[in-house]
Amino acid sequence: MKIIIVGAGNVGSTLVEQLAHEGHDITIIDIVARKIQAITDNYDVMGIVGNGASYSVLMEAGIEQADLMIAVTEADELNLLCCTVAKRVGRCAAIARVRMPDYSKEVRYLQEQLGLALVINPEMETAKEAARILAMPTALEVMAFAHGQAEMIKLVVPEGNTIVGMTLAEMTKKLSVSALVCAVERKGEVYIPSGSFRLESGDTLTFVASRRNIRTFMDTFGFKTKRVRNTLIVGGSKASYYLAQELLHSGVAVKIIEQNQARCEELSVLLPKAVIINGDGTDEALLKEEGIERAESFVPLTGIDEVNIILTLYAKKISEAKVITKINRMNFKSVVNSLELGSVIYPRYITAEAIIAYVRARSEARNNNIETLYHLFDHRVEAIEFEVNEPSEITGKPLVEMRQSIKKELLIAFINRNGHIIIPSGHDSIEVGDTVMIVTKHTGLQSLTEILN
Amino acid sequence: MNNAMISFIIGSVLKIEGILLLGPCAAAVWYREQVGWYYLCVALFCIVCGWLMTFRKPANPVFYLKEGCVATALSWLVLSFFGGLPMYISHQIPSFIDAMFESASGFTTTGATILGDVEHLARATLLWRSMTHWIGGMGILVFLLAIIPLSGGSNMNIMRAESPGPSVGKLVPRVRHTARILYLIYIGMTALELIFLLCGGMSLFESVNTSMATAGTGGFGVRNDSLASYSPYIQWVVTVFMILFGVNFNAYYFIVFRQFRKAFGMEEVRNYLLIVLVAILFVFCNIYPLYSAADGLRHAAFQVGSIMSTTGFSTVDFNLWPQATRAILVLLMFIGACAGSTAGGLKVSRIVIGFKTVKKELTAYLHPKSIKKIQYEGKPVEHDVVRSINVYFITFVLLFAGSVLLISFNGYGLETNFTAVAATINNVGPGLEKVGPAVNFGHFSVLSKCVLIFDMIAGRLELFPLLMLFHPGIWKEAGRSSRLGRYLSKKNLQ
Repeated sequence: MKIIIVGAGNVGSTLVEQLAHEGHDITIIDIVARKIQAITDNYDVMGIVGNGASYSVLMEAGIEQADLMIAVTEADELNLLCCTVAKRVGRCAAIARVRMPDYSKEVRYLQEQLGLALVINPEMETAKEAARILAMPTALEVMAFAHGQAEMIKLVVPEGNTIVGMTLAEMTKKLSVSALVCAVERKGEVYIPSGSFRLESGDTLTFVASRRNIRTFMDTFGFKTKRVRNTLIVGGSKASYYLAQELLHSGVAVKIIEQNQARCEELSVLLPKAVIINGDGTDEALLKEEGIERAESFVPLTGIDEVNIILTLYAKKISEAKVITKINRMNFKSVVNSLELGSVIYPRYITAEAIIAYVRARSEARNNNIETLYHLFDHRVEAIEFEVNEPSEITGKPLVEMRQSIKKELLIAFINRNGHIIIPSGHDSIEVGDTVMIVTKHTGLQSLTEILN
Repeated sequence: MNNAMISFIIGSVLKIEGILLLGPCAAAVWYREQVGWYYLCVALFCIVCGWLMTFRKPANPVFYLKEGCVATALSWLVLSFFGGLPMYISHQIPSFIDAMFESASGFTTTGATILGDVEHLARATLLWRSMTHWIGGMGILVFLLAIIPLSGGSNMNIMRAESPGPSVGKLVPRVRHTARILYLIYIGMTALELIFLLCGGMSLFESVNTSMATAGTGGFGVRNDSLASYSPYIQWVVTVFMILFGVNFNAYYFIVFRQFRKAFGMEEVRNYLLIVLVAILFVFCNIYPLYSAADGLRHAAFQVGSIMSTTGFSTVDFNLWPQATRAILVLLMFIGACAGSTAGGLKVSRIVIGFKTVKKELTAYLHPKSIKKIQYEGKPVEHDVVRSINVYFITFVLLFAGSVLLISFNGYGLETNFTAVAATINNVGPGLEKVGPAVNFGHFSVLSKCVLIFDMIAGRLELFPLLMLFHPGIWKEAGRSSRLGRYLSKKNLQ
């Protein structure tokens, strides 16, 4: 697919990395020559220096032949303008990043009127992910599938837990509801486990279940499921605003520490129920004064990754609070992983995942949409939710019949039939109209039929 | 330093060379020549060596600019060596260094020869000489990029090291597709010339050789008098194609995609054609008394096109022409043709940007506080590009001066020494006086030939990739990353 990306920032360069890896022809446009140079040095893509909203620059980038235009510059208005111009000149689909709360309330309208394929709001998605984790504080990550009907939870098996030493088959027997362990990471290795897989303490496992059954699963095996009651947020960014809004909506008390007086006043108007503190969130005394030691959760959302990391480490040291670290820019993933920060959110991957899901679904000629896509364990495992729109060789047959031909290291995690989540066994089958979630180490699946050998 | 990847690339180059060497073998079978056996031996040897070197794909395919440069430079050395080997062992060229000179001159598209009499050579050897031009013209590594999949952005580093020009751009997002498009244009234009030559009554063998030598802007002829004995029609066809192969290939890409305004709006192409035209007119006026109008124009156009595109064919002995014309031709050698073509020389784009820097400097004397960004092809030129062009000029001058000094020990006149180096470092071919179009390079000493071989390869690879090999840091790094180096450093730690 021919893709034009405007804006070589965080998200832009992550997109280049991942889309080039998936084999698309990419042209990247940015006004800063240095950024373009850095990207074209490292990736096999074409770089153009210029304003991505200008007609002549877009022509130079070959907008007439392009299939997709992704605008991810700093400014929302510029992104929308890029897409508008691109749609007029070429016959491509367009994706824009829109972050400002003013516009994001009107996303539907913008998307329809401007004919955009997708409007993405990384700040909002970050906030949603953080909110999901805070609702299930034992989890490291909570990923939503099937429009929130099903969730995938990632957690660490603590020492002395009842499931240590159990095989997955034994776990299923003990459980009154259906849930499925999809992937386990042990000492840096990732496994797609079978029923005879025996869990050890220290394993990081992900399991999937319908939203209702998640709590049962957690309760059965002695994980705490109580949601947090209050949150301390550092930094009054857009993501903080979205997160506060989500949390207040579900009855969590929110306190935000922000340095800028004017922004504090703005936030207090936007979020009348939240407590807004005007001060330096990196000041130890202030944090103590605002009760970090007793806070049930602590989310630093400043724009500087290093500050976020230091703040979470500090909070882990002096309190029992559930902490979430947002990392925007940093690349040293192995170092970050070794810090044991707990839950880490990477906004740029969230954005990239949404766009890659769209791109993969479009580049496959057959009409089966990808609903959701998550990368797990440093991109070694993918969880993809496909929509089944038409009959094919895998529909209408009990899964047991296809057992031999399905790829190794691949699981069918659930089948969503009209909002009803089925954890499939051998006699279940995939039908047209379902959505099916696949967990696999074969990254890069584009359609559901590719699960067969 | 990624040694495994470098040896993988060299191995792939060897494999390709081995396959290409089957070309002269086929010719030898067709013309029933015994030399074919020698070509076959070398071909098989190259293929086996290449196959062994590429047997295991390197685990880590990532490499950076330094690896790209080293791989390119080493590939070209290996390429020249094995290209010259069959000529030596078959005694077509009895002296080893002469065979190497001929092969390097072929691959670098110089076209300077050590042979006085090419007509007694086997047809297989003649074909191989022309083939080296054709492969060297667009670059064997560019060919490699078109056929083998290399992952990531690394492959741009090879393209950058091998392609001529101050800044290498891509036509389409992926290097592989860019390389393919370039080769398709290249093959298409070569075929077109072949057809034109066949229409002019040239024999198939000579047409193939001449069109390959023109396409690579090489200049090896199949007759002793180069192109002098062909009909005016053929000389005109070759003139036009020599000039066309000196044009930046991006222009052809635009023409293929019907973006004519972009193609003809290219500053470099316009400047190139302008220089060609002015030079032809000047030479024509200068030699007018010697020939009839039609002949004069033809000779002027042919020689200017040949020198400016750094091909090096000739229809007359321009060494005997008036002094002003000789000076013009020597200056044209230095200018060369466009970046992104198959030609050598300093490249029109560098010259134009160089002139603009001089103008900017003069303005700065007039208005010391003025700020002016140099523009080229309608875009501001980054300071880095200007800097690298300046450094290129300096390096060029240093290398040039050193080479002239070393050559001068032969005891020839300055004019011979100067033009011999100019003709090789710019990949032109013939110079003046003792290296003029009517004579050859055979009479130089072994040392001089080595220097000239070095100049040819340095000139083709735009100096730095080859000079990189002389940086001790490169060898230290390569040593450290080698198995032995890793073993030793481990021992040290213990």
